[in-house]
Amino acid sequence: MRKAEGGILLRLLLLFMLHATGTSYSPPGKPTLTRCRSPEKETFTCWWEPGSDGGLPTKYALYYRKENSDKVFECPDYRTAGENSCFFNKNDTSVWVNYNITVVATNALGRTFSDPVDIDVVYIVKPNPPENLALTVLWDQTWPYLHVSWESPQKADTRSGWITLIYELRIKLEDEDEWEEHPAGQQKTFNIFSLCSGGKYLVQVRCKPDHGFWSEWSSSQYVKVPEYFNREKSMWVLAVIFSAFALFIITWLIHMNCHNLKQCILPSVPGPKIKGFDEQLLKDGKSMDAFSSLVGANFPPTTTNYEDLLVEYLEVFVPEERELMLEETKELHNDSLKFENSTSDCDSGRGSCDSHTLLIDKSEEEKGQQPDQQSSEIKMDGKGQDEEDKYLTCSPENVDSHQLSSEKVKTWPSSFSPLPEYSPIPLQQPNSHETSKQPCLSDSLFAAGPLPSHFPHLGHNTKDEIGSSYWQFGISNKQLHLLHQQMEAHQQLQAHKNASVSNIGHLQLPSVRFTEYVEVQRVSDQNMVILHPVPSHPETSYPDWHQTEEYSKVKCVDNDNGLLLLQREGVEEGMDMCSYEELPESDPSKTTNTTFTSPCSQPAPSVQDERVVGGYVETSVFTLPTY
Amino acid sequence: LPGLDPLSAVWVGIICLVFSSRLSTMKAASICPNDQTGCHLLPLANLFDRVIQHSARMHGISDDLHSEFELYFLPSKNQIGRVSRNCHTSTILTPNGKENAQRIAREELAEIILKLLVAWRDPLWHFHQSMSQHDEFTNFSSNKSLEMSDMVHELRKGVLKVVEKMQMLGIISNSVGDTGSPEALLTSDSAEWRFMKDYDLLYCFRRDSNKIQNYLKILKCRIVPKHGC
Repeated sequence: MRKAEGGILLRLLLLFMLHATGTSYSPPGKPTLTRCRSPEKETFTCWWEPGSDGGLPTKYALYYRKENSDKVFECPDYRTAGENSCFFNKNDTSVWVNYNITVVATNALGRTFSDPVDIDVVYIVKPNPPENLALTVLWDQTWPYLHVSWESPQKADTRSGWITLIYELRIKLEDEDEWEEHPAGQQKTFNIFSLCSGGKYLVQVRCKPDHGFWSEWSSSQYVKVPEYFNREKSMWVLAVIFSAFALFIITWLIHMNCHNLKQCILPSVPGPKIKGFDEQLLKDGKSMDAFSSLVGANFPPTTTNYEDLLVEYLEVFVPEERELMLEETKELHNDSLKFENSTSDCDSGRGSCDSHTLLIDKSEEEKGQQPDQQSSEIKMDGKGQDEEDKYLTCSPENVDSHQLSSEKVKTWPSSFSPLPEYSPIPLQQPNSHETSKQPCLSDSLFAAGPLPSHFPHLGHNTKDEIGSSYWQFGISNKQLHLLHQQMEAHQQLQAHKNASVSNIGHLQLPSVRFTEYVEVQRVSDQNMVILHPVPSHPETSYPDWHQTEEYSKVKCVDNDNGLLLLQREGVEEGMDMCSYEELPESDPSKTTNTTFTSPCSQPAPSVQDERVVGGYVETSVFTLPTY
Repeated sequence: LPGLDPLSAVWVGIICLVFSSRLSTMKAASICPNDQTGCHLLPLANLFDRVIQHSARMHGISDDLHSEFELYFLPSKNQIGRVSRNCHTSTILTPNGKENAQRIAREELAEIILKLLVAWRDPLWHFHQSMSQHDEFTNFSSNKSLEMSDMVHELRKGVLKVVEKMQMLGIISNSVGDTGSPEALLTSDSAEWRFMKDYDLLYCFRRDSNKIQNYLKILKCRIVPKHGC
């Protein structure tokens, strides 16, 4: 009681005194706990920051409470850790226990509490840096490397498993600014390679417990790397020199051939020129004059000489003097020819393709009917004896089945096999040219096997007379191969095609002049079959037609070695492709169904739209049978 | 055998003898040819390492989940209400310092570890259930809680194996029973954890997983000190 009274009295006196002197005093400002750290998970220290002292001497005290207990303890040691700190020794430290810590600032005028802080010792561990850092230069054959070793901080007990530390080191050259860091896990040694010859290095190391804070970096250790020959570096230098040298040579070469290269890489582009157009006029400003020259006799082009478009033609050679009369049915639908007009330029390799060089297989009966007609029997013998049954009809499917046999005429089914990108219905030629991209190849199907005896196209009376000759078909199209068929026993017709099949399209005349069938004029000395077109309509004769052209369009070769020259463009629904053929005596009207059944009646889809081409033989090699 | 040449019989006999002797020596020749000190304990050390790794992973997951929770649910770190937290495993007496941990018997330490693992089996499962029901938790967190729950199971099995091995090697006595029945341990406070909030549950488990990891390490370094301590 007295004490209390005395205290109050003292305070009042003090206040009075202070007031009398005229200075202002206040209770202390709020202190703050800055951090708490434990170096080894067995003790820990807390530091605080004092607030303003209010002008009066202020005392600080730290109080703590342990988890789930209301008992308040005061800090046991204010001095060990320095100013404004509190050190908890081993006896006072409990791990895995929540401490609630508060700092109180007291001065004459009052006391102020700081905000309380909760800590658990496990999560505030910050160890001391590792100790005894040692650097050694060791040699790996001719190259030196740095061997770094250290020890765990003394206080941290890793031996008993109480703490687990992981380490990290960093290294740099003395005059550099950037450190190179290397995590080292739990190991206490490390090797560093790729050292600069003669360089001076600094190394530092630090550690951290698995859940905690990184320690400070240890003090630097220095090491000097001895001079050594850096083979790697010299190798790089050599490589650079060599490549520079090579570059120099290349540049020099380019320079020497500058002109040629220029031509090669950047060919001169021809300036645009319009015939009859005078640029100068335009420049001068007389535009009307300039354009007037364009509008002239030549523009728009009214007539063209289609003859000029014909570039290639097929020469058919018959080795022996035979004349093949090729007749074609007169029954050609003219309108089917119109597609021919659509593309005047078969050079593009698009299908000419409407040329169907199909050798139609004639039925056996036909064969029998006109034995005489089979003057020339062109036999496409697909294969060996076993193949005889299979003849190539104008369907592509069969084509593949033939194999070349040495002794027989080698048909070359592959050449006429439908190209992969082709539609599976080769004979079905829609009107659009686009589909017939592939030249005439698809069209050129031929039936292996004996040609129909009644093969009328060949105006030959006796096939026997046809000497051995062979059709040689060269197709420049990459998918086709030149097949030589030579049958010693067989007579062969030899047909030369001067140009690629794709060019056969040239023979397609515009609608004005479709010649739908050809006729064999004669067989020349060199065993050439000379064909001439037989105009279907007398009124539309093509005087310009090269009468001496030798070409025919072979539709297919049937089993009886008959060369079926196709010409039909007309669509005969339901008619086989091969169902086309010309019988010399058959009337045009009859063209359709009758004769063509057998060999050509294959799965080949009916030709919707055969383009008739004016005769050219797209040949395949086939031989004439010997008779 | 009539057809058997006596000489070949002798050969066969010799071969058999050699073979059997080899077999018998092979049995004895294990990893340690000279039985260096501690060499025969290598398998046990490996077992310990694996179990410790497992517990470290478990603790890592719980730490992640706890931080996530803190981020979303507790903006301020120093809430006064924290002190009132009471983990349901507080009844299990655990050493709170290094000396204490080193002083108690190995068997006791092993038993404490097992008790802790058993005590967390059900609460973690329920925690995972409640987490997956709340939409605000991402799939990632939900997966973590499931993983945590599984790991407690696996870790307990692992520790049992280690104990078994130790008993087999005669390192510890057989007093460490399979305290597999949680009912026996937590009859008194079996319902206590149900009243804990999710966050408190996480906080308690984070701490307990750290304890488990640390005790295992201490146990290992007491029993097989030469292998990485």
